[in-house]
Amino acid sequence: MRMSRLRKIFGDWFIWIFLLVFWGISSALSPFFRTLSTFATIILTAVPIALVALGQTYVILTGEFDLSVGAVASLATAIASETMQLNWPAAIVLVLLVALIIGFLNGFALIKLRVGSFIVTLAMMFIVSGIALIIRPSPGGFIAEEFENLMLYNVGGFPVTAFLILVIAGFLGEMILQRRVLGREIYATGGNPEAAQAMGINVSKVKIAVFMISGFCAALAGLFIAARIRSGNAIVGAPYLFDSFTAVFMGGTLVTGGIGNYRNSLAAALLIASISRILQFLEVSIWYQFVIKGLLLLGVAGAQLISVKRRGLILS
Amino acid sequence: MKHGRKFELTYSKDIIALIIALIAIIILTGILIPGFATPLHMMLVLYSNAALGILALAETYVILTGEIDFSIGSVFWFVTVIGAITMNGKELLVPLLICLALGLLVGFINGVFTSLLRIPSIITTLAMMIILTGGLYVITGGGGHGKAAPELTAFSVGRTFGIPNMVLLWIILAIALYVIQERSVFGLALRAVGSNPRAAYCSGINVSLIKLMVFVISGFLSAVAGLLYLGYARTPYPLFESGVGVGATLSLQSIAAVVIGGTSFYGGRGGVHRTFIGVLLLAILSSALISLGLGYEWQLIFYGVVILVVTGAYIRLIR
Repeated sequence: MRMSRLRKIFGDWFIWIFLLVFWGISSALSPFFRTLSTFATIILTAVPIALVALGQTYVILTGEFDLSVGAVASLATAIASETMQLNWPAAIVLVLLVALIIGFLNGFALIKLRVGSFIVTLAMMFIVSGIALIIRPSPGGFIAEEFENLMLYNVGGFPVTAFLILVIAGFLGEMILQRRVLGREIYATGGNPEAAQAMGINVSKVKIAVFMISGFCAALAGLFIAARIRSGNAIVGAPYLFDSFTAVFMGGTLVTGGIGNYRNSLAAALLIASISRILQFLEVSIWYQFVIKGLLLLGVAGAQLISVKRRGLILS
Repeated sequence: MKHGRKFELTYSKDIIALIIALIAIIILTGILIPGFATPLHMMLVLYSNAALGILALAETYVILTGEIDFSIGSVFWFVTVIGAITMNGKELLVPLLICLALGLLVGFINGVFTSLLRIPSIITTLAMMIILTGGLYVITGGGGHGKAAPELTAFSVGRTFGIPNMVLLWIILAIALYVIQERSVFGLALRAVGSNPRAAYCSGINVSLIKLMVFVISGFLSAVAGLLYLGYARTPYPLFESGVGVGATLSLQSIAAVVIGGTSFYGGRGGVHRTFIGVLLLAILSSALISLGLGYEWQLIFYGVVILVVTGAYIRLIR
């Protein structure tokens, strides 16, 4: 009994344990790794990944996919860099509104067309990338200095804002999933849509909600990226699509929905952000990070899948 | 396997609609843009989309079984780069075999992870894409290296009976895959696995084996497409899109073509003949946009709108 309980805790927090061990070994191997500046870089790199992964976790938990997140992040930087000159808080509101509309359209098209989220969001990805390129054909534009300073605010090298974003994202993301009605409805929808519908959950509403959350989170990630690169760039968000998938799947969320959580996606985002750092300090070519990321994704996803199956939560 | 009469009827109705749409677009663009609907230009459109066409054929088989392959674009670029380096402007046979073996190997690994270890193909092939991207970076450092063998270049840019070899090979592959899909046991099993894996398993089909084979075929065809393109480009410069996997765009484009052709994303329904028309539709639309002076960004928007409109229309037609 005791043993199986330990095993459950280990299973639930596997990726966090993995992350801490990874950090431990890295610190032991390289004196450069155990510095504040490395930690700061990891945090700053992890913020956009963690934000995009937050929305993606919700979407995947309902059994859908959102391929448009990277494009939405790019569009956010593009719009921000064009409109911040006038009034930066208003520009941020505009960006977030546009993202919410895109998310709504994703959900709406999914329900009306009934062709599956993969196709709907693939189409949306193409459309949004096109619009981003029209707004910002070449990188550049203006990002308000106040906004930059706010996002990158640090005390003695410790990135306070970025750290707070991660903490708040982790807290809110996990609280909504575990302690709010919407969260329970998301799990129910992903676990078995028909049963959820029969229980009186408005599945369509839940799906529209998760796509709006996903768009919103992607736009937040885009705004943070814009502050970091101090400009707009219509393709800068593209990698975050695959990073979000990597983070969510590494975090053990099931592709078919219904099982998973955000705290583990967050750990995976930190892990992804750490990989390029540690490779740099080990003087391994930075390009190996892709190989390692891919192998990690396969390994961790496989391990999680086996542990989920062993606990009998899904049928093979 | 006997279909109901109604199913057969609707099945052909929407493919006829697709062909009509294609012809309408050709006529419309022919009127709008002088010199567009000429055989010469149409051949050029076919020629420049042959590699994408072959990739989309590969993707179709995978999607028919209800899986997805993100890695085909990466295999494509990986093979072109490895091919160029090993050929180095001289050798042909050994590098050719190495490249085809690479394609088979990647497909086999994808298949093993997906069908035997039961990791969803979206994760497997995503991981494969990232791994191949890393491999490419490590090998090349980002630039172009090597050169295609002259024989390969001669084949890729050459013509037979006035038709470019690349186009000819694309059409031959499409016909061969169509025949396999419609007339062979494998083709039947393919669609059975896609429409209902459990039922397929119960009726004695080796679901794992079929899926494994589909990924191997996909890897092989991607390698073929990569080699053809290598001959055409001579020294390849893969697009190292800032941090995205190499070839992600190609994979997504081929998925778009499959979807526009009307192959169901849930597996089981559709086929390579539809994908062939889907690629033509996308290719002609892109070319028309370029002729109208609209750039890449408008192409992207058009891609998205076409996907939504066409897939939405299919659902209405089939219902």
